[in-house]
Amino acid sequence: MSTRRDPLGLLALPGVAFLGLAFLAPLMLLLWSSIRGPDGFTLNGYWRVLGDEYYRGVILASLQLGLITTFGAFVLGYPAAFALARAKGYWQVVLFALIFLPLTVSIIVKSFGWGIILRRDGILNWLMLNLGLIERPVRMIFTEGALYAGMINVFLPFMVLPIYSVVRMMDARLPDAAATLGASPWYSFTRVTLPLSLPGIIAGSSLVFSLAVAAYVTPSLLMGDRYMTMSMVMAKAFLNLRDWQLGAAMAAVMLAVAAFIVVGASLLQRRVGGR
Amino acid sequence: MRRLGINFAWTALILTIVFLLLPILVVIPVSFTESSVFRFPPEGFSLQWYQRIRNVDGLLSALGLSAQIAALATLISLLLGTLCAIALVRGAVPGAAAITTFMVSPLMLPGLVFGIAMLQALREVGLRDAWTSLLIAHVVVTMPFVMRTVLSSLTLFDFAMVDAARTLGCSYPAALWRVLVPNILPGFISGALFAFIASFDNYPVSIFLVDVRTKTLPIQLLNYLEISPDPTLAAVSTCLIVLTILVLVLCDRLVGLRRMASI
Amino acid sequence: MMHPPAGGHLAIEGISKRFGAAVVLEALSISVAKGEFVSLLGPSGCGKTTLLRCVAGLLLPDAGTIRVGGAEITRLPAHMRNVGVVFQNYALFPHLTVAANIAFGLRAQGTSKAAAAPRVAEALALVRMSEHANKPVTALSGGQQQRVAVARALVVRPSLLLLDEPFSALDRKLRETMQVELKHLLREVGITAIFVTHDQEEALVVSDRIAVMNAGRIEQLADPATLYQRPATLYALDFVGQSTRLSGRVLGMEDGVVVVQTALGVVRAPGSFAAGSPVVIAARPEAVSLAPADAPGVNRIAARVSEISFLGSRTQLHLALADEGDRGIAELPRLPDGVGPGSSVTLGFAVADTMLYPAA
Repeated sequence: MSTRRDPLGLLALPGVAFLGLAFLAPLMLLLWSSIRGPDGFTLNGYWRVLGDEYYRGVILASLQLGLITTFGAFVLGYPAAFALARAKGYWQVVLFALIFLPLTVSIIVKSFGWGIILRRDGILNWLMLNLGLIERPVRMIFTEGALYAGMINVFLPFMVLPIYSVVRMMDARLPDAAATLGASPWYSFTRVTLPLSLPGIIAGSSLVFSLAVAAYVTPSLLMGDRYMTMSMVMAKAFLNLRDWQLGAAMAAVMLAVAAFIVVGASLLQRRVGGR
Repeated sequence: MRRLGINFAWTALILTIVFLLLPILVVIPVSFTESSVFRFPPEGFSLQWYQRIRNVDGLLSALGLSAQIAALATLISLLLGTLCAIALVRGAVPGAAAITTFMVSPLMLPGLVFGIAMLQALREVGLRDAWTSLLIAHVVVTMPFVMRTVLSSLTLFDFAMVDAARTLGCSYPAALWRVLVPNILPGFISGALFAFIASFDNYPVSIFLVDVRTKTLPIQLLNYLEISPDPTLAAVSTCLIVLTILVLVLCDRLVGLRRMASI
Repeated sequence: MMHPPAGGHLAIEGISKRFGAAVVLEALSISVAKGEFVSLLGPSGCGKTTLLRCVAGLLLPDAGTIRVGGAEITRLPAHMRNVGVVFQNYALFPHLTVAANIAFGLRAQGTSKAAAAPRVAEALALVRMSEHANKPVTALSGGQQQRVAVARALVVRPSLLLLDEPFSALDRKLRETMQVELKHLLREVGITAIFVTHDQEEALVVSDRIAVMNAGRIEQLADPATLYQRPATLYALDFVGQSTRLSGRVLGMEDGVVVVQTALGVVRAPGSFAAGSPVVIAARPEAVSLAPADAPGVNRIAARVSEISFLGSRTQLHLALADEGDRGIAELPRLPDGVGPGSSVTLGFAVADTMLYPAA
């Protein structure tokens, strides 16, 4: 091949064109329809979504769910990612596979499994009864606690894997160097390890948050109508109520939130990075 | 104190793994229960629910459909995505960073929103065939997974190796086949794996595009769960879990999980 | 100046360390005087880095004691030892600037930003990096990074400085310059320093004494001149400098001198060996001359030249020798006329300069 430069760039065309037609165009159409009512342009949909106290509450509830899920996933996932990155040889592969495996299992299977664990006649109650911690089965399913646990369960790998890949690349000598300079292990952690793992933290957190905020299956299965998220409202609007305007407006809000997260995360990465 | 930190990290890892595997592991014994209730510990031992899989209306056909769509969507994504990745890495494309972000963006945006958008758009265009709609949508769903892994494989690949192969007597295509392909294979396969799973397991996009006769497995399972929940669901789940483990083992043999772990 | 606190005297006694079945350090003992520079010289796997990590506190030995200035630090964690380390690839903190890297130890030990600033400035001036103070360390060249690493370790006034192959990442010319520069700098500061290296030339340049290590033990501990001129074992001989060596068998003793039969003739050397023992005789290249006088105190061997190496200030003649383990090298300031590859030459070296070892 004589000229490898320009002709090669054209290879991108089919993929980009496909995505443009099949992804971008429908989204544009959706946004367009969110401001089009039966009588022409209208912001009615947005008024209803942002003006109504109920829907505002739903938006806040989704954000809250996202935050709690992200926080929970971080607290457990950050140290876990560390241990995984420092694991040796074959163990690392096995442990990695064990973290990866749950990702491959259907979200429905997992939520179903949680249901079994949390039911009145499920494992957790059975364990607690037999250990004498409680006298009567406790209702755990359909509680917010169960929802958070289920959400963290589903999204935890998405926190672990990005942090793991960043920590893996960190020079293992740096904590040694800090120690020889007189830094206590805590100082070394907060001033060396934590800052250097920040890109991974940002990547994992933004991923988990954006997924959790838009979650549909897990909240529906574990809480049903008791905890309405933006996605559930949107699905209901389209499937049950056939209220396209409301649905489209809610969809636009979700898109805005997602875009905000993406942009925010990449800005943060740029500030933290530069290495 | 450093000891403490290390122990804490390992405890967190063990807890994480147990926590993650718990709902999956629970499903397996339940599938063998004799009673038709989801009790744990399960009572008795019976394979009846596995036998029932064949009888349940639409379950097997949904499984077939999901597999079909997932396989095809993955293949198409692999083709389009790899070409695109090669162009981005070697082709001096203007705005390469923006294009990369664009190709990966379906991952970060809510699937539900995309599903609705597709529904609307396809209706406008007049396409009502559920199968085709699903396929198009699933290519979009799978594309980010393929792009990320293939792109990172290609970026790590040292093209000097292709030059070396050429000086040793290989033609350009032969060099690509003998040197480039084996080295990006892990990215290829792990991308394909992620993509297949993403498509197979997809609910938010599919829910809007299925019709009464064409249902993907997740939707069928959810239906079943709402209408008549019995341990058949657990049996199906167990089969899926076993299948997934087999696929992972296969990938390990082909490519090595170790290499995939570094992607 | 950044003079270290009193107590630069390092005493290591009976340090042993094993990893699984492999014994990496075997009852190692060494003593370093205050302000002295000692090199641990050996190939990879000889245990020198392990010993360094034990002294630094990054590794716990199985047995033995380590004392600095009389105080035992064997089981003290690294951050309480006040032992400075310059790592092989410098281990600079990539997320901090040059100045912040140097200030790290001071800040970690509780010094306020204000109090640390003048000391950081002093350290920067010491290594001549003052104008790079606010640069990210990733923008520096190898030599500059090394200087920052040294400044960072010294600014906290450690009682002892350990350097793990500090020059290995630098190219040759820079290496030679930095070796002299660093030695001068450390002398000025007056600190006790231990170098770990596999490069014998480096060891010769920077050290007051060299410890040649082999498989977890110290084979010889001596100053560079002694090590070079009177290596205690064949291993030490081979590790430092080049040599002409011939294998042979002892014929007997004669006037307090051992007579050895080699493939190239009879050679005499000071020492004491029983008749029949297999031995190796050796001489440094500069002790070998090309037109030896036929005098009693001179060994003479005849061989053919296989290769000539022109090294600028001297020319090396490599001799063709039959035995695999044998080597013949003569170093001359200039190549004499008429001598080239294939020439037959006669070489001579004084009996007094000839070394004798039992064959391995």
